[in-house]
Amino acid sequence: MSDPSDRNARAGSVAHVGEPIVREIHIRATPQTVFEFFTDAGKLTRWLATEATLDPRPGGVCHQEHGREDGSGGSYHMRGEFLEVSPPVRVVFTWGFTDPDVGVPPGSSVVDVTLTPDGDGTRLRLEHRDLPAAEIDSHSEGWTGMLERLATAVTATASDEP
Amino acid sequence: MQAVLDAVVEPRRREILGLVRKVELPAGAIAAQFGDVSRPAISQHLRVLRDAGLLVERREGTRRLYRTRPEGLVELRAFLEEFWDTRLEALRQEAEQEQRSRDHERSERPERKGGKRGPRG
Repeated sequence: MSDPSDRNARAGSVAHVGEPIVREIHIRATPQTVFEFFTDAGKLTRWLATEATLDPRPGGVCHQEHGREDGSGGSYHMRGEFLEVSPPVRVVFTWGFTDPDVGVPPGSSVVDVTLTPDGDGTRLRLEHRDLPAAEIDSHSEGWTGMLERLATAVTATASDEP
Repeated sequence: MQAVLDAVVEPRRREILGLVRKVELPAGAIAAQFGDVSRPAISQHLRVLRDAGLLVERREGTRRLYRTRPEGLVELRAFLEEFWDTRLEALRQEAEQEQRSRDHERSERPERKGGKRGPRG
């Protein structure tokens, strides 16, 4: 396991560009209830995707369709794989899209979710790491590539505005 | 945010950002890297990048020096983070609703035990 604290300390008050995206929220539901929203296709489609095919075990598929919010009715195709499934504590899966315009190819990034009992419910911590933006710090090719992918995404979005 | 996005859509501007990512350069030196682009066009690109908060402009005598402004990228990052903020809020609502309906079902079962458990002994 990598220790992100070193990098956080180095970054100081400057932009944490390249760091994993980390989100923590409190949910008034048991860890088991929350966990199922990551591993049950019927529940996952209530909050994250429009369609899902899930085989929640290490090496199992984690396929999701995400609606394009441009009125086209089309979808983005997320083709991930479960890396760890430990109910009701932790679920880890790869995150990437077959659509080139998203700029995050299959297998290129990882979503790591941990659930901890907390008072009247659950503390959920989501870490999305190894995103293309993480390349910014290391070399300029990554930097340029990230900007190009962003520009592609922006162009696609901007053309749909009224 | 829109200014940031507009700024990076142009390939030349992305090249400029890469060029002054680690070193501060005067406008002339930046323009020299683009033989096929006119100096006024480069100045225009620099202005767009500066106004979007992606470049820092510093004057030294008659020269203007430019360097990439890392804080500008916080906005790009925020753009990418918004996805999870939105989705997790939806998850919270759905999971809490699910929990309420489960608790409701359980409370309607006749064999439900209430009250505090006695001390173990």
